[in-house]
Amino acid sequence: MPKCLVCYKWTLDEKDIKIKPEDLSLDVTRAKGKISDFDRNAIEEATLLVEHQGGAVDALTYGTTAVKQSLKDVLSRGPGRVYWIGDNSAAKADAYVTANVLAAAIQKLGTYDLILCGEGSSDSFNQQTAPRLAALLGLPCVSFVLKLSVEGGTVKATRGLGDCTEVATVKGPVVLSVLGQINHPRIPSLKQVLGANKKPKQEIKIGDLGLAADKLQPRAVPKFERGFVTKRKNIIFKEANAAANVAKLEAGLATEGLQ
Amino acid sequence: MNFQLNEDQQLIEQSARDFAQEFLNPIIARLDQTGEFPKEVVKELADHDFLGLHLPADVGGANAGWVSYVAVIESLSRSCAAVASIMNNHAMASYAISYWGSAAQRNRYVPALIKGDLIGALAICEHGPAPGIGPDALVATKTEGGYVLKGTKAYVRNAGVAGVYVVSAVTDAHDPNALTAFIVDSNVAAIKVGEPITTMGLHGCPVADLVFDNATVPEAAILGTVKGAGEIVRRTLALASLGEAAQTVGIGQAGVEHAAAYAKERVQFGQPIGKFQAVQALLAESATDCHLARLGLRYAAQLAEDGQPFEAEAAMVKSFLARLGSKILVDTCQVEGGMGYSEAMPLPRMFRDIAGTTLLDAPADFPEQLIAASIA
Repeated sequence: MPKCLVCYKWTLDEKDIKIKPEDLSLDVTRAKGKISDFDRNAIEEATLLVEHQGGAVDALTYGTTAVKQSLKDVLSRGPGRVYWIGDNSAAKADAYVTANVLAAAIQKLGTYDLILCGEGSSDSFNQQTAPRLAALLGLPCVSFVLKLSVEGGTVKATRGLGDCTEVATVKGPVVLSVLGQINHPRIPSLKQVLGANKKPKQEIKIGDLGLAADKLQPRAVPKFERGFVTKRKNIIFKEANAAANVAKLEAGLATEGLQ
Repeated sequence: MNFQLNEDQQLIEQSARDFAQEFLNPIIARLDQTGEFPKEVVKELADHDFLGLHLPADVGGANAGWVSYVAVIESLSRSCAAVASIMNNHAMASYAISYWGSAAQRNRYVPALIKGDLIGALAICEHGPAPGIGPDALVATKTEGGYVLKGTKAYVRNAGVAGVYVVSAVTDAHDPNALTAFIVDSNVAAIKVGEPITTMGLHGCPVADLVFDNATVPEAAILGTVKGAGEIVRRTLALASLGEAAQTVGIGQAGVEHAAAYAKERVQFGQPIGKFQAVQALLAESATDCHLARLGLRYAAQLAEDGQPFEAEAAMVKSFLARLGSKILVDTCQVEGGMGYSEAMPLPRMFRDIAGTTLLDAPADFPEQLIAASIA
């Protein structure tokens, strides 16, 4: 019976983020948090596995102090326990820092048969957490999984690689990143939402992880963030006959590299 | 005083929005066109515990409270108010049985109502000026071991699909105001569902008369006490009005969001129409009406949840929305202009649905009487 750990990120809901028209900066003052979309797939996959085969699912997250808002949400989706590291260093953390913190926490928590992540987070989508975690923990990594089965201690994973698939078989503890197509995350029922209150939530202090200061210094520092707004070209073709207009449209699309 | 939903309520609201996106959005157009009862969606509502959310844990409910209830109804109504209407009527029947029913009645009906194996309906209205008054009022005549019901219940939502009805009937010919409530199985002989009433909106939520032609029910079918229906009707209809107001707010909010998105996209005279002050005014007023109605609604729901009198506050919200519900949709349609008037857009459906939520159960002047009585 597999013992699973799912790592997830609490991100801003992109539908609540507004772009300020004057300088295209992001207005997040009214943005609510959510569990990153692909991490929901990871949570669902671990939960399905345990529902079918027995075992246990824990969840682990690292974020700012706001991450505490995610605990009931994640517990309503299946995991039996959640560990959380709430520290404001997460506000500027890149994949390097995130993996360092998560790996140190996992080493503190003990051994898991499967450590699952989403393929990338909804906000930065670096796709680095799973491979970095695996490297830090000295475990094999199978990324971009779209089908998963576990028999005995053997993990069989089908990877989606764009134009082809690859089947990987791995023994023993492994880190996996899953694709969005792997499953359809459940909508928690009301009893699952309310039942989450009874499940254990345990805080891990970042200071207790024994990380050197440089492990918390991000390597990638964004210079600025700007919204992307598609500008209308406002081109109107006014030829006398339709065929000429279509020809001009066709040529215009070709110029834009759309043909 | 905290105006925010608490963490549990926020998660429940989010679940309802996710549910609406996954299960309701794909069927809205079909439901609106065909008026088919969405049986499979009702079962999904049950599987996600929504049908028992307002009921206490000792009968198998989720005990989530009335604030969560109105948040869920609003969230469902943003997508499909007809399903919210089905749920609201069903929920009131299960609430009445759970609250006033005997242990035997609760055990027999409530678990099946929560699981969605049985659909419930409230049948209170009549064609006369008030229940119990009028030529075709439902009258229950005492016989040996039971009652014989004769008369008609009007505009019963979920009629024909319900397996159990909570009805009120006159049991004392000398006192038509002293009504008695009964739990009536749909398969009782001599009960006939009238022709489906074609409604302006809320297609998919069936409405019909329920005709009792000397239908015999046992004494065990009495809900509460003989002549005790007054309290059942008053409280249940007040709670139902919270659900109806939540439907109105949900439809209105969906209309505002649709029109706001349209105003950003639609370019006229060289700029998006949302830049024009006249359009901004329409959107701002509609959004304000929705916001204030929601605050009033959640306050009334909180009172109900706390076991305090809430009927006057619920009536105030109902009255507010009776005046402004349809106006919100008129204004949002106006933002979208000719396109908004087209059936290719969702606003016409919302327009018809919102009328159903403000007109069908309580006439606009009814809440005012209740409010006036509370302040006199």
